Amino acid sequence: MSGRIGGAATALVLLSAMAVVSDAAWAQSGKITLYTSQPDKIAADTVAAFRAKHAGVEVDIFRSGTTEVMNKLQAEFTAGDPRADLLLIADAVSMEALKAAGRLLAVTDADVSAYPEAAYDRDRTYFGTKLITTGIMYNTAAKKPTSWKDLADPSAKGQIVMPSPLYSGAAAIHMGALTSDPTLGWDYYKALAQNGAVAVQGNGAVANAVRRGEKMYGVIVEFMAIDARAKGAPVDFVFPTEGVTAVTEPVAILKASKNPAAAKAFLAFLLSKEGQELAAKQGFLPAHKEVAPPAGFPKTADVKIMPMNIKAVLDQDAANKRRFNELFGG
Amino acid sequence: MTAAGRRIPFSLRRGEAPAVYVLIAGFVGVVCLWPLARLLLEGVLPGGQVDLTPLRRVLDDPATWRAARNSLRAAACGTLLSVLIGASTALIVGLTDVRAKPVLVLCLILPLMIAPQVTALAWLQVLGPSSPLLQALGLAPPPGTRNPLYSEGGIILLFGIQHAPLVFLAIRAGLRRLPQDMVEAAHACGARRWQAVATVVLPLLAPALIAGVALAFVSAIGNFGIPALLGIPGRYTVLTTLIYQRLAGLGPSALAETASLSLVLGALAIAGLGIQGWINRGVDVRASAAMGPRPYPLGRCRLPVEILCWAIVFLVLVLPISALFATSITPTIGVRLSAATATLANYGFVLIDHAVTARAFRNSLLLAGGAATLLAIVAVPLAYFIVWRNARGLRLLAAAAECTYALPGVVLAIACILIFLNPLPLLGWSIYGTVWIILAAYLSRFLILALKPAIAGMQQSERAFEEAAVILGARMTTRLVTVVVPLVAPAAVAGGLLVFLTAFNELTVSALLWSTGAETLGVVVFSLEQSGESTYAAAVAVLTVLATIGLMLFASAFARRLPAGTLPWQA
Repeated sequence: MSGRIGGAATALVLLSAMAVVSDAAWAQSGKITLYTSQPDKIAADTVAAFRAKHAGVEVDIFRSGTTEVMNKLQAEFTAGDPRADLLLIADAVSMEALKAAGRLLAVTDADVSAYPEAAYDRDRTYFGTKLITTGIMYNTAAKKPTSWKDLADPSAKGQIVMPSPLYSGAAAIHMGALTSDPTLGWDYYKALAQNGAVAVQGNGAVANAVRRGEKMYGVIVEFMAIDARAKGAPVDFVFPTEGVTAVTEPVAILKASKNPAAAKAFLAFLLSKEGQELAAKQGFLPAHKEVAPPAGFPKTADVKIMPMNIKAVLDQDAANKRRFNELFGG
Repeated sequence: MTAAGRRIPFSLRRGEAPAVYVLIAGFVGVVCLWPLARLLLEGVLPGGQVDLTPLRRVLDDPATWRAARNSLRAAACGTLLSVLIGASTALIVGLTDVRAKPVLVLCLILPLMIAPQVTALAWLQVLGPSSPLLQALGLAPPPGTRNPLYSEGGIILLFGIQHAPLVFLAIRAGLRRLPQDMVEAAHACGARRWQAVATVVLPLLAPALIAGVALAFVSAIGNFGIPALLGIPGRYTVLTTLIYQRLAGLGPSALAETASLSLVLGALAIAGLGIQGWINRGVDVRASAAMGPRPYPLGRCRLPVEILCWAIVFLVLVLPISALFATSITPTIGVRLSAATATLANYGFVLIDHAVTARAFRNSLLLAGGAATLLAIVAVPLAYFIVWRNARGLRLLAAAAECTYALPGVVLAIACILIFLNPLPLLGWSIYGTVWIILAAYLSRFLILALKPAIAGMQQSERAFEEAAVILGARMTTRLVTVVVPLVAPAAVAGGLLVFLTAFNELTVSALLWSTGAETLGVVVFSLEQSGESTYAAAVAVLTVLATIGLMLFASAFARRLPAGTLPWQA
């Protein structure tokens, strides 16, 4: 009797376990493709951590510069068959453009309770996964700057290098934020131009120039500078007193995704506390309020971020670039 | 030389021409014309509606014309410099008795293997405030001094260095077909050496020189790496960097504008082709006897000339390679290199821990090798039809190959996505997301590199051989194999080599087309560089150069089975 009950109970447990497994398998199996501009190793580690929880999902990664990723996707749209399920790129402005074109899936049930409102789209089509701030990296042979305005000081003449907004989307956003700041504005960019600031193609080139001591000050994303310092390069990073500009490295699911269930699982993983702890471990400032920032960073709440209107940046993009072009040539 | 300029009418034997001809025309049409046509469609028919506003906007924009003017100037001056370096070294190696020729030739070809950005970076360091060389000499400019290379002059200098091997290889192949008897005849008539060189050798080399010039020019017009590194800080925009700016634009209209801008770039490339055809007109240098002239003894001048050659090798090869090597054994950028800090850890990482590197080596080897072999084979009948059969249709098709090479790689990659994303007609499967789309893109991009030397080779070859074969009843395929191939083998191999060296570390096309399992070396270096891992990137680049030298030596082992003089570095 008891044996029979025990058998029935076992069967029940087994059945329910199977139900759970099959439910999980239904939600999280098959293949998804991630298009990202994250550094190689970071993207691979993130996918590995996701797969440790969702072994049934295979993740293909296409990694390239943000411009290349967006061009590939745009070409796929034009040819009528986008192949990405998920997009994880540096800035929200490109996401805003995709949203306006009706390409993004609204994930209304995403858990954003631990996120500041500025971090995600109101309509829940894209979600910031971290804060990538742009501040000043300096070679320790030079005087430590504290303010953006220190770069316009004669003592820094000829010593400034920055990514060109004509070639980098993140740099275009930085320009949009700084030039709309009342205390800086276009006068600041004019002063930079007069001080012999040099624009290069991207953050990597900025980092190398400052590390090698070719230039003393670089306008750059914080993680590259902090990573360089950790590796022993003679550089350091400052969050200027006026604040830093920030991109949020948002993630989004494309409407055309053939496996939205698995894509949602990936998105949920990135936004989960565990996913955010991984981001912090990888050296990024997490967007999640409760996750501690990595060593060398101030608390997320203490980082002063200059306000920015994404829509305005997108609208003024062409005009801003023209003005930059007039000031810096190229 | 036969009667100058006379083209013997040559009717195709019924049934034999179409097969080979159609095959070749079909190949060029699919790999070169199709992507261009698709792109053109995007420029004037965005979204399926005829819309000329993107084109008009591009043509009305003064920035377009400023960039076009800069492109033309930099490419023209850079080409001049390439010719100066490439032609003089090729003539010295080919006509005189300098020693250690095989090594010298290898060293003069290898700069092609070094990514333009690397060369540019090495020169920036050499001339910059932190230059160890200038510091040792006490000539280093104070920190903060603007690097003189961030300028039009810097771009021209780097174009000149980067593309000199193209001119060198073209002329080297041309010299292999130079008839010894005509040079001897000149001397028998009392000509001095310089007279023989000026009146016999140089005119006979005209097609090879023109091919080299054309390649250097179109390479400079289409180069992105050098103007990106030097021109952005130098505030000097050329068409390729302008196109990239448009692609990086945040708005949605990027593709149509890019396509329109690409038209302007294509027009410049084709204009260059037109000028080349105009110069080529009436040039007829076909000669029967081959196998290069006997070298002139230099006597007392030999040592100074050798020193000059090796000085050039130092500037174009040793300098950038040593900068690359120094970076590859530095623990991290910014740490001063010394006996105490030098490390092999970067090599350990890329060879052992970074699984992608090994896969990328295999992929790039197969892709570059496959493209080089296929294109060298296709180039022979293609050049044969264009030069000996005067096939105008094919000549026009070949102009498309000029454009696919001159366009920025990212634009060609976009065109390839547009045509290859959907399943292929008739076959029903798609090559998108596989290594095959990269191969297709390479065939499209690099055909011109194989074709130019082959055309020059055909122009130098005596057609009477084929006429004799026709009289003997040989069919076209037989004639191609037994007559044409041996005549143009050195030129075809030189072309294949150009393709291989350029494709082996190609980046801009594969940056959009790679996929998991189909990574290329260029993509690996780019990814490492973008992640701020320049030391790993340098290690991969050094390994690439070593692998290339290894492959060249490996090829030498089989040289005896090839027609004499096929490999450029053979004595």
